[in-house]
Parts: sequence; C-alpha cells; structure tokens
Amino acid sequence: MALFLYLDHRTFVHRRHPLVKVAALLLFFVSAFVMEHPLFILPLSASVAALILWTKSTPTLQRIRVLFLFIAIFPVLIWSVFYRNGTPFPTLPFLPITQEGALYGLGMAAKLGTFLATGALFLSTTRIEEFAYAFTLLGLPYRISFTLTLAFRLVPLFLESAVTVVQAQRCRGLDINSGPLFQRLRHYVLVLIPVFMGALRRADQMSIALEVRGFNSGRPRSSFQRAPWTGADTLAVIAVLAVTALYLSLWSAGYGRIRSL
Amino acid sequence: MDNRSSVLSPSPADALRLEQVSFTYAEASTPALREVSLRIQPGELVVVIGASGAGKSTLVKCLNRVIPAFQAGAFTGDVWLFGRHLLQERVGELAGIVGVVFQDFEAQLFSTTVRDEVIFGMEQLGVSPEEMQERLDAVLALVGLTGFEVRDPTTLSGGQKQRLAIAAMLALRPQILVLDEPTTDLDPQGRQEIFTLLSRMRAEGYTLVLVEHELAAAVDADWVILLSEGQIVAVDRPERLLPQIELLTRYGVRPRDLDRICAAFGITAFPRDVDTAALHLREIGEPRSEPSLPTSEQQPIVPLLQVEAVSHSYSGGAPVVTHATLSIAEGEFIALLGQNGSGKTTLAKIVSGLLPPTQGRVLLRGEELGRLPLHRVAQEISYVFQNPDHQLFAETVEEEVAFGLRNIGLETAEVALRIEEALEAVGLNALRTHDPFLLGRGERQRLAVAALLALRPRLLILDEPTTGLDYPEQRRMMELLRRLHAEGRTIIIITHVPWVAAEYAERALLMVHGQLVWDGSLRGLCAQPELCASAAFRPPEVTRLGLHFKRTFLSVDECLAAFSSVAHQPFRSDEDHPQPVS
Repeated sequence: MALFLYLDHRTFVHRRHPLVKVAALLLFFVSAFVMEHPLFILPLSASVAALILWTKSTPTLQRIRVLFLFIAIFPVLIWSVFYRNGTPFPTLPFLPITQEGALYGLGMAAKLGTFLATGALFLSTTRIEEFAYAFTLLGLPYRISFTLTLAFRLVPLFLESAVTVVQAQRCRGLDINSGPLFQRLRHYVLVLIPVFMGALRRADQMSIALEVRGFNSGRPRSSFQRAPWTGADTLAVIAVLAVTALYLSLWSAGYGRIRSL
Repeated sequence: MDNRSSVLSPSPADALRLEQVSFTYAEASTPALREVSLRIQPGELVVVIGASGAGKSTLVKCLNRVIPAFQAGAFTGDVWLFGRHLLQERVGELAGIVGVVFQDFEAQLFSTTVRDEVIFGMEQLGVSPEEMQERLDAVLALVGLTGFEVRDPTTLSGGQKQRLAIAAMLALRPQILVLDEPTTDLDPQGRQEIFTLLSRMRAEGYTLVLVEHELAAAVDADWVILLSEGQIVAVDRPERLLPQIELLTRYGVRPRDLDRICAAFGITAFPRDVDTAALHLREIGEPRSEPSLPTSEQQPIVPLLQVEAVSHSYSGGAPVVTHATLSIAEGEFIALLGQNGSGKTTLAKIVSGLLPPTQGRVLLRGEELGRLPLHRVAQEISYVFQNPDHQLFAETVEEEVAFGLRNIGLETAEVALRIEEALEAVGLNALRTHDPFLLGRGERQRLAVAALLALRPRLLILDEPTTGLDYPEQRRMMELLRRLHAEGRTIIIITHVPWVAAEYAERALLMVHGQLVWDGSLRGLCAQPELCASAAFRPPEVTRLGLHFKRTFLSVDECLAAFSSVAHQPFRSDEDHPQPVS
C-alpha cells in the first residue's frame, strides 16, 4: 500500500523551499476563494493543472478521482436547484433553474475542484517533514506540527491493521460486508476493537521510542537545513504573489461576481 | 556456576553499574526484578538471556529510566551510567547517553525519509546543522545505508529498518547502546545483517547490552547474563555458560545445537562455530552410515488443495507471487520458507482463500475456492495470523472461541462442546473466564489457534507461530501442532526459525522473489547448501554440522544417534527434547 501522496521527483516545484509551497498553497486558495464566476476561476484551475502535469503528480489525481467526480456533480446540482433568483434559461423555460444558479454552481465546482487539485499538488510535492518545518518557521509550536506529521504516519498503519483484522474475522466465518445495515455496523465495531487496542499498544511504545530519541529532552532544538532559500524561491513567491494581487484587485474592482442573486 | 569476578566486582570506570535494583509493576504481586546488581565496563558486549517474564525488558527499561519514569510501580536501587547516578532524570534527558533499540522497528520509525529519521533525534538535542550532516553520513556508512537518504523507511526490508533504527540512535552518540531483542521480528538474512553490524560496532569500541533469545548471538559476548524470575541466575563467559545445557534448559533458554552435541559426547572444548564443532566431532569418529529412510514419495490420491498456476500482484504492481503450482494432500506438515518479501504470506493467503489470486485458481477438493461460501471455507481452512492481537477482541477467552462457532450457525450445545474441546487442546481451559488482553503472548497465540481450531478445520495455516515466544512456549506451540497433525489435520507453517521447520515439517516449500524454487522434502532441501544460501535460508546448526560429514541431520537427536555407536565416550542423551521447567 502506498502510504503517502508524496511522489518522489526532483522537479522545480519539488525543490522549492517549504515556506514557498505553503505560501503558494494559501495564496492560491485565497485567489480562487474570492471569485464566483467560473470564467475567472478557470485560469487558476488551468495553472494548477499545468503544474500537476509538470510535477508528474497525475497519479495523485488518479487516486482521488472519485472526489473530483463528486465535486463536479454536487455543487452544480445543489446550487442550480436552490438558487431560484435570476433569469430562467430562455430556451428551456420549463426547467426550475436559473442561469445565475447554474453559473454559480459551475463556479463553485471549479472553485472546490481547484482547492482539491491545489491540495493534491501540495501533498504530492511536499514531504510531511517539510510542511511541519514550514509551519514551525511560521510560529506553530513544534509539538503541534510534529503531532500532525505523526498522524499522517499512523493513519496508513491503522488502515493496514484494519485490513488484517477483517481477514482474521473472515477466517472465523464473519463476512463483514454482508447482512442488514445494523448488523454490518456491529461488524465494524468488531474490527475496530482490535485495531484500537493495537493502536494503544503502539502509541505506548512510540511515546517511549520518541523520548529515547530526545523528544522532550528539555534542551533547545535545532533544525536541519532541509532546503536552503534560493533566488528561485524568491522568484516563485513573487510570481504567486503577483497572481494573488491580480485576483484581489479584480475582486475589489467588482469582477468575478455573479450579479442579481 | 556463576563467576562474578569482573561483571560484579567494582571497577573504577564502569560504563554501567546497577546496585540492588528491584522493580514491581503497579498491578503485579511479585517483583519483576529482584535486587539485580551488575557492572559493565566500557567497550564490553553483554548479552542478557532468559525466558519470557524473566525480567529482561524490565531490566532494559531501568537503564534509561523508562522505569520508573513511564511505568507505575515500586522501584528501589541505584543505577550509574559512566559514574552519573540516575536519580530524577526524565527519559528524554538521557538521550545521547543511553541509546535503546526495540524489537518492534515499526514503532520506532516515524519519518518519511531515512535522512529525516536519523536527523530527528539530533534536532531534539540541538545538534548544529553542519554537525548533523557529518553524523548523518557517518552513521549511515556504519550501518550500511549510504545512498538511502531519501528513501521512505516503510519501503525498506526488516533488516534495513532495524539498522536504520540503530543508526538513528547512534547519531545521538550514546555512550552505551541497549538492544532489546532487535532480531526477533527479522528473517535470517536481516538477523545476520544486525549481527554483522554489532560486531562492527564492537570493533569500534561501543558498549553494548543485547537482550536476545537466540544463543548464537551470545558466542562473541564478553559476558552472558542469565535471568530468571527477575534475578540473575548466572553470569559468565559464553564459553563457560553456553555449554551448561541443563542450566539453560531449566531456565527456559534453548541451548545451541553445537553445545548439546559436544556435551553429549563429553567434548569439553567450546564449539564456537560449526566448523570448530566439526573438528572436535571428527575426533570421535565418523557417523554411522545413513539408514535407508523410507521415501514417502507416493502421490496422494485425493489432494486437499490444488494450486494451479497462481500469480498475484497488489494493485497493478510487480507480481509478488509468480506462477505457483502445487498440490497439498490431506495430512501433510509443510513449512513455507523464504525471506521477508519473497511472497510466502501472499501465497499462504491465496491458499487459504483470504486473497483471490490475480491469475490462476485454487481448488479445494476439486471445487474452486473463490466460489465456495465463506462459512464452508471457514470450516475447512484456518489461517492463524502472526500477531494474535489482530485476532482477539472478545471479553473472555470462552467468548473468543464461541465467536466463530456462532458465525457458522452452530447450536448452543454444540458451541459449548467445541469450546471445551478447543481450549482443552491448547491447554487454556483453566483460563476460560479471563480477559484475552491480559494473557501472555504465548497464551494469546494459543487462544488464536483455539478460536480457529473450534471450527474443526482440515487445514491450518500458521504465520510465524513461534515469533515472540520463548523456548518453552515455542516447544509447546509446536508440540500442539504436532498433535493436531497426528490427529489427521493438515498443517502449513510459515517460519523463519530453522529448527522449527527442520524438526516438525516434512515437506518444504521455498520461495525466492515470488517463485517456488523448492517443493520437496525438508531433508532434501537441507542437503543443498547452495540453494538454501541463495534463498537466505539457513538450516539449523546441527544440519550444517552434518554437512561436514556428508549427512543431513534435521535434529540434534538424529546427530547423536548417528555418532553414538562410534563414540569413545559413553553417549549421554538429554532425552528426546529437553523439557524446560516453566
């Protein structure tokens, strides 16, 4: 089982300083967030798509393609149905859908899709230690950023042990996916007990292993220079800042909104 | 029997000194350690041995204050590390002074690259970035992981993971390194990697304390400490302690084959390795010629299982099992051998119906396994997982066994009968109302077997049934399987333990890179050292000794029998199997 979304390549994006990646992630979010009209969001989506191709992160998109499907369908449906204000489609006047509602739904889908793709790009190009490092540089307490990285490490291990437990139950004649809903829920509890007990045992061992390695030593920490800041990092930040500045000024000038809602 | 001249006598510069150390766990009535005193000098390798519950892990935890800092209980006594008296230190404060490597390598790795793993501890201790890089390069070179810097630790082999855990400790420059059963979860290859590393570290002057269950690791030690019930029973040089067969057996430690053989023939020289032992044994004479063993090559009439051209790959990756074809007859006892990652677990899961093969098919009495209803398969084939904790979840031992029986829809009276029968078979009847989670590892392992045994399967597949058990427990588990086999059940064990395979299984399946490279008698396999070596399978000491005489002994008893008639010395058998006192 592949444990992380991270894909080990050496592209320009991979080699950027963790702070640049975190900043780009946040700034892309902001840019997409302030826009409502799909036409204004699409350039952002296209740039993220280009970056994904460039960084060879397409396998990550493959892995989360179901999420994209949901995002493509549900906002369009929901906003179309619930936004009744505005102009109906002239050729299809019998439909209870307005042009603005459909547009807003499309915009929402583009926006959420861009968020998701940006997140996927970030996780495919940034190691967990890197973003914990970036968060620490940004002032987040080390314990919190470390706990975050540990959680990422543990989730796949729990999934793995859940798979083993399900197989062990099968040997004893329990088919977890059969029977009425209530029975199935009860079966899941039977899987969760060993997984949870195992997690507790493991957490106990891990906490000792952590202390043995000096976690909680009371001495001042130091940081390994994971990626020195380079001129390319400065350029990358300027580029992303420029895009965000453009989007914010468009937004404050009133562009990118859908009227008459 | 115990020589305390150096280990226990005062010395000006002890690396480690324990004085009257006792510890009783909060919930326990008897102490886990009783007045343990010892001294270890810088640069020494000390190996601690003993049965489960002897206090080995408790002792380790006292060395870096995990006890009493993490563990509730009553601690008395004094510990000094290089003259520093440990009093109120937190565990983290001793990082960089005592390094500890644990058995479970998964629980000591928490980074996404080898480099970050090694750096983690140094960052905690505030090592400067330049020095981090220096130490990183040095320790990776020492453990043989140079070039692995950006690898994800989860993609490493067991031996590599454990070496990484050691590197991460060494980067903190500890003055003493304690290894708590570092090789228990490793295959023979990984185990060898660790032992090679240990001797290299020894040459570099590290002070090492190694807790081990296999005596082969103790041969090169400066001192061997035998613990039992929290007390030091014996401390001696390996060449004096290892040949004490009765003493070791009495305290639940499996003596080496070589020592048993030499002791039986009254050879007093210490058989350091197989070659030395062969030299000594040759002085006694040549073994009797091979008795013509009945060759049980006749083909089974009705195979229980037929595996036909089975291949498997996980989610489109490289195949883990390639084109395996074999037939399993009712009543066989098979050892499935191979390195970690060779595909044996995958093959075993396919055979048990847990994993549908991506190609090929498995027939159970002529019917395709994948098409049979689950409750039928469950009554024919059982798979016992390596870690009993994956299989246990009920509140009582009895309930645990009842679970599967209810799943297959048996009536109350029948359920009660089968619980009785299964718990009787594994010797857990007295613990029926106990909570499975509070049982010892050996008992949990046997309960997992009982829970499946109650379904009266014809075929039992066990993944590493002896891992994590001490010698008496291992014997007990294997004798249980031998009995089940004698009753007509078919048994397949996946194992890394050479003597377990050699003494109990008749047929061997050996896998290398997903391919079956040997399907035949275990004796036949052991007679081919090149094939064994290429698959990183290391036959037991006695077998390797036999090869010096062009013989393939599968147990010490076979060897003793072959030499008994030619021995000058009166032959002193130590029974069929040394029966340890639990």
